Amino acid sequence: MMADRRRINGPPGGTRPAVFASNLQSGTSATDRAQRQRQPSELRKIFLKTGLIPTASGSSYLEFEPSASLAAARANPKSLIPPSSALKLACTVHGPKPLPRSAAFSPNLVLTTHIKYAPFAARQRKGHIRDASERDLGVHLETALRGAIIAERWPKSGLDITITILEAEDDRWWGSAPDSHDASWGMMNVLAGCITAASAAIADAHIDCLDLVAGGVAALVSDDSASTSTVAPKLMLDTDPAEHRSILSACVVAYMPARDEITELWLKGDSSKASLEDGDDRTGHEALIDGAVDAARGAHAVLAEAVRESLLKTVGQA
Amino acid sequence: MPLDTSTTYPLTKLRLDGRRWNELRLIQAQISTNPASSGSSYLSMGNTAIMCSVHGPAEGRRGDASGTAGGAGAIVEVDVNVAGFAGVDRKRRAGGSDKQSSRIATTLRSAFQSHLHTYLYPHSTISIHVSVLSADGSLLAAAINACTLALVDAGIPMPGLLTSCTAGMSGSASTPKDPRHDELDPLLDLSLPEEQELPVLTVGTTTSVPVGENNMDEEEGEMKVAVLTMDSKLHSTYIETMLAVGIDGCNQIRELLEGVIKGSSGA
Amino acid sequence: MSNQRQASSASQVPHLSPAELSYLYSSLSLPKTPIRPDGRSPTQFRPLTAETNILPGTNGSARIGFADGTQAIVGVKAEVEKTVLANETLARNDGGAGLDRGEQEGSAAVGGHGSWVQMSIEIPGFRDDDALPVFLSEMMRESLVGAVGTREASDMAGGLKERLVINKRWHWRLYIDVLLLSQPLAYPLPLLSLTTHLALLSTKLPKRKSQGEEDPFFDDDWAVAEYLYPRPSLSSGKTNSTGSSFVRPPVTLLVISVGENIIFDPNREEIAVADAVLAISITRDSEAGTLKLLSIRTVDPPSRLTQPGVPNSENVSMLGAVAPTEDVAVLNPATGEEEVPGVWRPRRGGVKRSVIAEMVKTALKKGGVGEEVLEGLEGVEVS
Repeated sequence: MMADRRRINGPPGGTRPAVFASNLQSGTSATDRAQRQRQPSELRKIFLKTGLIPTASGSSYLEFEPSASLAAARANPKSLIPPSSALKLACTVHGPKPLPRSAAFSPNLVLTTHIKYAPFAARQRKGHIRDASERDLGVHLETALRGAIIAERWPKSGLDITITILEAEDDRWWGSAPDSHDASWGMMNVLAGCITAASAAIADAHIDCLDLVAGGVAALVSDDSASTSTVAPKLMLDTDPAEHRSILSACVVAYMPARDEITELWLKGDSSKASLEDGDDRTGHEALIDGAVDAARGAHAVLAEAVRESLLKTVGQA
Repeated sequence: MPLDTSTTYPLTKLRLDGRRWNELRLIQAQISTNPASSGSSYLSMGNTAIMCSVHGPAEGRRGDASGTAGGAGAIVEVDVNVAGFAGVDRKRRAGGSDKQSSRIATTLRSAFQSHLHTYLYPHSTISIHVSVLSADGSLLAAAINACTLALVDAGIPMPGLLTSCTAGMSGSASTPKDPRHDELDPLLDLSLPEEQELPVLTVGTTTSVPVGENNMDEEEGEMKVAVLTMDSKLHSTYIETMLAVGIDGCNQIRELLEGVIKGSSGA
Repeated sequence: MSNQRQASSASQVPHLSPAELSYLYSSLSLPKTPIRPDGRSPTQFRPLTAETNILPGTNGSARIGFADGTQAIVGVKAEVEKTVLANETLARNDGGAGLDRGEQEGSAAVGGHGSWVQMSIEIPGFRDDDALPVFLSEMMRESLVGAVGTREASDMAGGLKERLVINKRWHWRLYIDVLLLSQPLAYPLPLLSLTTHLALLSTKLPKRKSQGEEDPFFDDDWAVAEYLYPRPSLSSGKTNSTGSSFVRPPVTLLVISVGENIIFDPNREEIAVADAVLAISITRDSEAGTLKLLSIRTVDPPSRLTQPGVPNSENVSMLGAVAPTEDVAVLNPATGEEEVPGVWRPRRGGVKRSVIAEMVKTALKKGGVGEEVLEGLEGVEVS
């Protein structure tokens, strides 16, 4: 970890407000965890708006609807800690612009992607320098977008895409021990949001694409309630990791509906034990990919509407 | 009582790893280990293991200042990388290189820049990449020997083999040498624990390859010291002994390396 | 230099002309029988030399070299570290806000943590926080720590993470350092993954002499050290030596699709014309004896960055020299785009779901590439 010596940083762990035992009714801790209120195939609502940053050639802002449990917790607070967080991010596109003089010739548009968490975005404070997970996300996003952009129309040019994540999805319920499942499932939701937002911002910058590429997430979830210990994992779309006890496997895709093609696929975890309906002979990972594609189709509808809105606005101005 | 060379040596005349004062560690070396480079070598001295690869002489990178600066002769670039698993404890390197590896790189660069016949390759770059796989003392000496082998493998002309060795004293040697009863002995080829507790110097020597038969005897006269570094405290009366032992070690290593080179070219 | 760093995930694009790319593509996309430049079959790997336990100062190490001279060395080091229990876990145990809950959290804390495995990859010419090394190390680490067995399986319940637990308060921290000795000629993933696999196989941890919740202390004798990935005991006399009864580290395979063909372990030229590139991590399922998928990642195919060729009909210097009927754009069934045969077009778009499914199936199926690779690695003498 590179130390940031230029600023006076807060404690890396962050602090939590004190919760006094007397304020808690007995047994609340068991029901504390947010429960998924949506149907397995129901997505969260997405707020997406383009053209918010006038200095950039294209920009967008994306927000996921906070899960129902968050609204409930706000209405009837039992604890000062919100049960879950929702994704909020801003994306800017700069370019196409000439490459710097020192750069080598490129017959295509050179894409660079930066994803940065705001220091306050997650429950654990993020440093000012991009860490490995942020760089990793940047590579995923680059792969997703490069497949959609028609790059040979801008030789010798560069395109910078910068995403700032203002509020990130949790990787787990905050009350779980940090070891209970440490895989960063929240990152996958963040990536899906980044893909959708970047796609809108690219359209806002009037850069030719094959299709609007949208991101979607699906996961295999086993919510074993205390009574039944071995419930076969179920496929759910657009999962909020804070709402589930254990996620076995998750998948995020960047999907172009017009061509029925995937430009980015990231699947991890054990998908071999999926319980599908009878007569469904797909393997676990295929079902997972199909689920993520369905989620992406949903996001695509929002994306198309947002782009149409921004176009109408430009036409209105002209 | 901690077991180290400064306590065991006066009693047994044996060092911590069982060697006598004038014994080298086992040296194993191999050249042409990596077909993707112009020249490469692997060298281990005891538990110190080093891989070295040479690229070039090649045209200097476009846009770099070295492209124009190398007008008179080739530029030698050295890159030293100590693997995270090289030491006893795994070391977390912040940002690529630490002080130790950049010091070794600087010493290597200046040693080989003046040693090689660089004037034969104007406007070009010879880049040397040294990976330390396992570090157990005498790093600089082992790196010099590995580089020499790799440069020979790459076919870059040089007046003679540049070989190097460390020498130390078997005690702290802070008082003047007493010629009548001198219980301190010089030590050859120090390992890491010895290097940390005893005064140590690294010496590298080179000889011209003898031309004709009558020059064979004059080899001693042609010997040149090319590298000499020391950064520990020692009374000045001991320097001469240490140097003599170190140079003797260099000659032993030179014979070994010559054997490696001849053996591989014959095969 | 900076440009090379930007073109991160796709390694470097080799300097091939559009005509060469087109030739490569058409020979690799020949239906059913692709012709690879080095004459391999689509599922054949490049020949390699491997050795393990080359470094006495590490817990485990391996070296693999391909015939083209690219070599990787992996060293694994382990350290004992105190397990940091989350403060809220402790607090809740003290607060007594439900005893059952406290116990539950306690058992979760024993479960091992992914951050106990640290991986760093060093590639000459790249800084270690550049995109390529970061992407590669995250990819390999994710499948390593993600390899979860079931609790019923005896030795390696819970995969690598569980194995690192010593007791409730102590655990092993594993450092995996990957050293690539020369500039990568091809996408270095297969090389790094295979070398890491071998290094982990040869990794030994000292035998523990303490018991239970004591502060750990270990046997000094390295000869009795235990393998991190336990070996099947020879005395048990299981003759069906498929090796399926014990857990192995995962391997990550690099797979490309060209046209309708699926090709494994591509070299630099082949990956330059790939329609899609996938990195598929697999491991052996300890119970079923079959292969199990751990993760898939798409890798940005370098073919998107190549230079297009110009068909004769659009070439000004050829104006009038060709009859317009000579090159007519036809629909490439694999990409769904109009292409003039023999004229290179950079790849656009993504990959169809059916292609992905086919790629995964080829890797996983019984007697398929995955098994072949794992068996080949088992054949390497681990001393």
